[in-house]
Amino acid sequence: MTETTDLRAKQPRFRGLEAGHRACQGCGEALAARLVTEAAGPDVILTNATGCLEVFSTAWPQSAWRVPWLHSLFENSAAIASGVEAALKAQGRRTKVIAQGGDGGTFDIGFQALSGMLERMHNVLYVCYDNEAYMNTGIQRSSSTPHAAMTTTSPPGKARMGKRHMKKDLLSIIAAHHIPYAASASVAYPQDLRRKVRRAMEIDGPTFLLVHSPCPLGWGHDGTLTIEVARLAVQTGLFPLVELERGEVASVMPLRRPVPVAEYLQRQTRFRHLFADGDHRAREEREHLQALADYNIERYGLMGDGDDPFDSEGADTIRRGGPART
Amino acid sequence: MPVTMTKGAFAKAGTSLAFKTGTWRSARPVHVHAAAPCHRACPAGEDQQAWLARMQEGRPREAWESLVAANPLPAVTGRVCPHPCESACNRGKLDAPIAIHALERWLGDEAIRNGWTYPIPTGQPRKERVAVVGAGPAGLSAAYHLVRRHYNVVLFDSMPEAGGLLRSAIPPTRLPRDVLDKELSRLLALGIEFRPRTALGRDVSLDELRNEFDAVFLGVGAGKSRHWDVDGAVPADLHEGLHLLKEWLQVGALPMPKAVAIHGGGNTAVDLARVMKRAGVPEVHLITASGLPGPDTEPDDVLNVVPREFEQAVEEGVKFYPHRTINRLIMRGSKVVGVEMVRLKKLPGANGRKTRVAFEGTETVLHVDMVVPAIGEVVDPAGVEALLHGKDYFPADRFGRLDGQAGIFVGGDARAWVKGYPNGTVTAAVGDGRRAAEAIDAFLSGRAPVEEERPPIPYEALNLAYYEPSTRIELPTLALERRNDSDEIEGGPTAAQAAAEADRCFSCGNCLACDNCWTLCPDNAVIKTVETASDGSHYVFDLEYCKGCGLCAHECPCGFIAMEAEAE
Repeated sequence: MTETTDLRAKQPRFRGLEAGHRACQGCGEALAARLVTEAAGPDVILTNATGCLEVFSTAWPQSAWRVPWLHSLFENSAAIASGVEAALKAQGRRTKVIAQGGDGGTFDIGFQALSGMLERMHNVLYVCYDNEAYMNTGIQRSSSTPHAAMTTTSPPGKARMGKRHMKKDLLSIIAAHHIPYAASASVAYPQDLRRKVRRAMEIDGPTFLLVHSPCPLGWGHDGTLTIEVARLAVQTGLFPLVELERGEVASVMPLRRPVPVAEYLQRQTRFRHLFADGDHRAREEREHLQALADYNIERYGLMGDGDDPFDSEGADTIRRGGPART
Repeated sequence: MPVTMTKGAFAKAGTSLAFKTGTWRSARPVHVHAAAPCHRACPAGEDQQAWLARMQEGRPREAWESLVAANPLPAVTGRVCPHPCESACNRGKLDAPIAIHALERWLGDEAIRNGWTYPIPTGQPRKERVAVVGAGPAGLSAAYHLVRRHYNVVLFDSMPEAGGLLRSAIPPTRLPRDVLDKELSRLLALGIEFRPRTALGRDVSLDELRNEFDAVFLGVGAGKSRHWDVDGAVPADLHEGLHLLKEWLQVGALPMPKAVAIHGGGNTAVDLARVMKRAGVPEVHLITASGLPGPDTEPDDVLNVVPREFEQAVEEGVKFYPHRTINRLIMRGSKVVGVEMVRLKKLPGANGRKTRVAFEGTETVLHVDMVVPAIGEVVDPAGVEALLHGKDYFPADRFGRLDGQAGIFVGGDARAWVKGYPNGTVTAAVGDGRRAAEAIDAFLSGRAPVEEERPPIPYEALNLAYYEPSTRIELPTLALERRNDSDEIEGGPTAAQAAAEADRCFSCGNCLACDNCWTLCPDNAVIKTVETASDGSHYVFDLEYCKGCGLCAHECPCGFIAMEAEAE
């Protein structure tokens, strides 16, 4: 046993997703799944839709998961989870079920199963790792891909500036199910993410978590910038961090100082065409995305009322020996 | 029910830990303990980042022990230092620098209050004896650092008490004498043999010292006023600034002119101006070739005092005349009745060096009945003529070594300016004493002197997303109408203020133990080894799995992690 193996066993935290998985360098989804399973703890059963997470974590015959984990198909993570939950219920066991999927498996392909699971009020936490395209199969657009982003199936050119349509407002659809708790979170704010996972774990009923997880390969940024890009998505207002209870907005992370969307866009090659010289559409689309961010800020009331320790600049504050105590 | 494998392969299920993703890596993360800008800027060589970290952990005694490993006089320098550390502090670029100066003072005062003893590293006693001449900041520092290295030290001073110019030239309103006494008595009690009232050249000669001791450190200071006249004219009753200040401090005597013009832009000039103003001299004018502290003044053109001292002098009613010199003395008989001033500036000349250019047509007259020059001091050559060769200062290197004078070391105000090692402050003298002690130890051990040098860390290497803006503490100042000859003007912070202020430190270039690398590694390749970590040694990179993405380096708030290319 090497020295680090020994130390690894003594880590002062639960390891749900272990090293040795095959995610790319700087993978936001691997980080998100690591954080979610750490916060959820060992007494869980996971299901997984087809996607990057499923593929990179379970290269046969190995598994990076240290908790029970099931994969069946692309479209049925929520359906499998419903069945596992029903079986546990029949056995009188309290083990929590967590269904996982990417945005493809949640917004598009597994959407019907998800809606059914929520409607039947299964005691399941559904976590969607949102990296805004089908990354596993080669960066095809999904209904979560933001407006104007380049993917292999929404290439910018003479006819279009990237994806023509808007990002699907999934949280509002989830809200319409009147479930006890739904929230959005980001890998850039791990304390906030963990708190939301723990909150959802405590609730006996269907809960939903949408975790913004940058994909260095699909978004076109260096793996070192995963957190910076995720942070900017929140600070611009493009990815608002909100909590919904029974369909109503219960809490938001306020923005101390909204950052112009260009700061976010110019770090990613999927928006490179929005900075093309001499193309008037580039400016138009940048303004369009700014307007979408402004819309989010207005709709969710993201503008803070003075500095707040839990706003977009305070929530990631650290101090000696760990995150800031507030 | 038996399972029959009819197709495909079979393997036992296993953990992904068997798959070493470390082979993907082209660059590896490494911990780099770079020097914080405060540490780089400190003439005494303190590592402020290190002792602020101990403060953040709530261990003030360890903070003080870390501080006095470099500077034995924190209660003194925490009052009189112009704190270049604060000017260099990276936090100044976000909101306001850490009040390092005030925290140093707080630690110094706490040490006195609690009677903390100076930590002496364990080691073998040395048989060699070292003479230290001058019990000012340079000599005290040299003696202290030699005692820490277990040498026998004899400290000589011409005055009856130790302190040098701390005692003879700094007003008690800036440095209360009880603070000085308590700090120095504890220092001298470490085993330094102190011989007061022993002047070099009068009671003991340099040759005697060289014969009797294995090495000699000269911290004799600059005790002779620089020659001053205006086109050859000097008032008959001329008194030099430093002389007046010393006389006032020792016997309480001060001349009381109706109006005085003090010529100079350093601490002597400003201290004297304030003392005279507070003593009741109606008009105190200060004429200086430098500019006043302010955003538009170039750093090398500014009055050589702490801005706060300047502001308090203005509050007290001292009038400043920046960028001016005395062109002519207006005499009635041998008495001064006024001075003619002219505006000037230090400008680059034809050879690129700055020279003073006076501007014709800007002359103004000031009616005064006394002129006091305070334009600086040079070494008093008594007893050291053989080393000084008629120069103003000793041409020593940064370790205090003199060419061709093995075993003689010089530091403090007595040494000439060395590039990168400015002098003329108490703190610089403390640093000189520390480096000279290293040089003496090296000399007596037959090795070359070394000084730890770490690369500096720029502001850009920090990740500011993880810090919150915060307000710098406000310190109490004695109200104008309550100021007198003896009560200290500046107050120190409370314990709560000190703790809050220390918490503002970014920890530039060193680990904050914030867990960011551990929390944010997508590959679980950062391992935490101690629950309550306090420095970088508590995180380990597991290179078997680290893919080299560099995310930890980018998200390290302190710039403590760097990516290093892997060998091919």
